[in-house]
Amino acid sequence: MDSETDLAAINARIATLKKTALELKALGADIPCLDRNTARILASLKMLEIGFSDVVDLDSGD
Amino acid sequence: MRRRRVNFDQPYWNPVLEQLPREKLRRLQLRKFRNIFAWAYERSRLHRPLYDRAGIRPEDIRGFEDIRRVPKVEKAMMRDIQRKDPFPYGDALCVPLDEVCEFRQTSGTTGQPVYQADTWQDWEWWAECWSYILWSQGYRPSDRVFMPFGYNIFVAFWAGHYAAEKIGCEVVPGGVLDTQARILKIQELKATAMMGTPTYILGMADTARTKMGIDPAGLGITKITCAGEPGAGIPSTKRRMEEAWNAKVYDHAGATEIGAWSYECRHQPGGMHVNEALFLVEIEDVDTGEIIETPGRRGKMVITALDRLAQPCIRFDSKDVIEWASEPCPCGRTFRLIKGGVLGRADDITKVKGVLLAPVSIEEVVRGIDGLSDEYEVIVDKLGDVDRIKLKVELMPGAEERAKEIENRLKDQLRLKTNLGYRIEFYDYGRLPRYEVKAKRFKDLRKEKPV
Repeated sequence: MDSETDLAAINARIATLKKTALELKALGADIPCLDRNTARILASLKMLEIGFSDVVDLDSGD
Repeated sequence: MRRRRVNFDQPYWNPVLEQLPREKLRRLQLRKFRNIFAWAYERSRLHRPLYDRAGIRPEDIRGFEDIRRVPKVEKAMMRDIQRKDPFPYGDALCVPLDEVCEFRQTSGTTGQPVYQADTWQDWEWWAECWSYILWSQGYRPSDRVFMPFGYNIFVAFWAGHYAAEKIGCEVVPGGVLDTQARILKIQELKATAMMGTPTYILGMADTARTKMGIDPAGLGITKITCAGEPGAGIPSTKRRMEEAWNAKVYDHAGATEIGAWSYECRHQPGGMHVNEALFLVEIEDVDTGEIIETPGRRGKMVITALDRLAQPCIRFDSKDVIEWASEPCPCGRTFRLIKGGVLGRADDITKVKGVLLAPVSIEEVVRGIDGLSDEYEVIVDKLGDVDRIKLKVELMPGAEERAKEIENRLKDQLRLKTNLGYRIEFYDYGRLPRYEVKAKRFKDLRKEKPV
């Protein structure tokens, strides 16, 4: 599980999911069901970012 | 596409973070600290003036030595800024009020309760913190988890409930049931795991045995996660719970204002892992304020929750007394261990007859002596100018004839562990108070009128 390739692949898919969720949320201004469910999806996606995306570029310095 | 089931044998909830090399972990902490500091600096009317007064801005955080210059936040400061707009959270709220979706408050045992706001993302984060705990302790989707706690304004095991659901366990909320009804429900449903304070876990076992004629060891509970008190980190108390329930008992520590920051894994290494991917824990020397990096020196914890947004927890002076362990855990996690878990609270440690006393060491002795019940009470008072300390204990039925031998053992062990002489008072089994959640067994009457 420490393969950089795996992590990069996971991160790419998280980014795709997030982009889609944000696009969905933007369509939901007048649709509470769409807005609130995507808000929850985004909160779950944040947990994936914390778990995986945040460590992808740790070697690159700050 | 064929559905793949998650590998139940995987010991880590997140093998990436839990095995991250130390140097990367430190880099991650520094980066996250900088982010949460900037977040609070830009949004919190509590934090920004505090940091401005100290002359520290987000761009000044370049290394851990800069973090040590960041002023600490104490619980009293949180009390002072609350009950104002945005009501009731006041100046520390960093998000619009309509993004807050969870309210909890501290128990108020040390003063006015502190209100805690969380967004849904923060609440997901709480459940994520707890998922590390439960997975590391062997909770799996095949478990039926019984929750014997009052679901109310205190955070207690709420996030444990959400995390167990997230892991895929079947969760049985035992909320308003009384203790006997909870025991019957555990028996009826063949629950396999539960969570509770050590006081309550021991109390449930006692109720099952003495009031219901049920042996809790035969109920099928295989693991118990404890929090709220140091008990699961005290070897003699842990042993009593494990023997009573025939289950593995694991320790965990968390707090309303902080989050669920540490856990004991299945290896039971005599301490808890700090979840260093989600929290930055510093140990500060109580007298000098120096940050302790080496194992074996006790100090109080200063903690930062690196991803909590609505009401940030940055360099919070928790007053929990901890120390780094010298040996790594055989589980392979790179998260450091704190030896013995939370050893007490800095404000619980008191001087009696000029000797520093941590009440937790009295519990270790009492619960280690066969023939004594789980209950005890310690009373400190003054006769004139002289401190006195009295220990009330209960003899188990059948142990009455051994009272003198037990008293001698108690006195010897207490002298050895605490350097103090005690007056021992024996009570019949069932005479001392029982507690439902957290026990209050240490009573210091010296601030009241001298005897």
